[in-house]
Amino acid sequence: MLRSLDVLLLIFLLVTAIGVVCTKDLLGAAIIFSAYSFTMAIVWQQLGAPDLALTEAAVGAGVTTVLFLIAISRTVRREDE
Amino acid sequence: MKKGIIIFAVFLFWLLLVSAMVSLPPMGSPENPAYSHIVPRYLEEGVEEAGAHNIITGIILNYRGYDTMGEVTVILTALMGVLAVLGRENLLHHTSKVDESTIERSVIVKCVVRLLVPFIILFALYIILHGAESPGGGFQGGAILGASVIALTLTFGFSLTVKKLPLKYRTVFESAGPLGFFISGVIGLFCGLNFLTYIIPSVAPAYQDLIRHLLLLIIEIGIGVGGGTIIASVFLAMEKVGKE
Amino acid sequence: MNDLTELFNKLFVNFNYIVAATLFVIGLYTVIAKSNLIKKFMGLNIIETSVFLFIVSSGAIVGGKAPIIGEGVSSKTAFVNPIPQALILTGIVVAMSTTAVALSLMIKLYEQCGTLNADKLKELK
Repeated sequence: MLRSLDVLLLIFLLVTAIGVVCTKDLLGAAIIFSAYSFTMAIVWQQLGAPDLALTEAAVGAGVTTVLFLIAISRTVRREDE
Repeated sequence: MKKGIIIFAVFLFWLLLVSAMVSLPPMGSPENPAYSHIVPRYLEEGVEEAGAHNIITGIILNYRGYDTMGEVTVILTALMGVLAVLGRENLLHHTSKVDESTIERSVIVKCVVRLLVPFIILFALYIILHGAESPGGGFQGGAILGASVIALTLTFGFSLTVKKLPLKYRTVFESAGPLGFFISGVIGLFCGLNFLTYIIPSVAPAYQDLIRHLLLLIIEIGIGVGGGTIIASVFLAMEKVGKE
Repeated sequence: MNDLTELFNKLFVNFNYIVAATLFVIGLYTVIAKSNLIKKFMGLNIIETSVFLFIVSSGAIVGGKAPIIGEGVSSKTAFVNPIPQALILTGIVVAMSTTAVALSLMIKLYEQCGTLNADKLKELK
């Protein structure tokens, strides 16, 4: 029913989400979050939603990550400060 | 200790969610209740009724046009919120970290960005204009347009972008999304029909399809240009830092 | 024993739903346990995408095509459900707008208070 690629992508999604939570360096967390968004875009392509894949690749992986990076560059980089 | 309690509580919540998901119908079968009501009609008659081969574009612009109009307003309101908190950029008083940085930008990055940005903009325009026939539409193309502005700013500096995209043009383009909905929607009102009907009754029926296409295109271009400019403006407002 | 295999079968068929629930819980943990505001907002973004994944998966179909009806394609072939996709398309853009507003508020907060730690912000007066 599910193809093995889908299962792999979903597991990678979980791994990147846990990576975002566990990384203490906010810059690294933002980059991992970008990878998470990109994986989500591929998952949506697999689910038959190319419109959503385009939007997520441009908005989630591109613009949101840049906004996070600006916010980190203007505030703190370590999580515990 | 505190962490352990949180993990335990969250795990209980996960068990609750999973136990609810066991009773859901199996994913991916056409007999799901989600398919039974209105979806067959959208799939069978959507092309004639909504005027777009891409059913999703038909739904967001025609069947649920009010929804999309509200959402375009949400983006504009978000821009207003950002500007109310941070303020507009002004070259007399502001500069950015990119401009102040002493690290020289790599020749490879400069060259690649200079070569790629025209093609990125071309791709964005294709996605905006071809949204009714293929995957894409206003939001996707607008996000790609905004991303091209971001790439230019991060490579060639803040002041160049502010000079090339002056405030007097950006303030007009930012409101293009709601403006496109207004122009296309009001035509229906003048003809005695509802808002956002995309029909002019006095025109011969042979041309109705063309008119609907044109009105949908106005909305798509409005959303695309407006979304791209709003993303660029939000980026510039957040990127600026005060001059010493 | 037989019941258990049936349960596992059901769970594996709904694997996308399970992943969506797990992502929701991971995001919820981030929002509750982490004290940094930017990290909290990343958790909120993960929650948003998990809900999107759940809704789009509920409209997916096995071997279904994207709902773009070309010239020669009869509408009898299986297309995926277009309504969740149209809803989520607006949702993604709204999520980006809320992220922009929240991050600009955080930048202003850091300029005024000098910290983004929620525990320390609570002690400020």
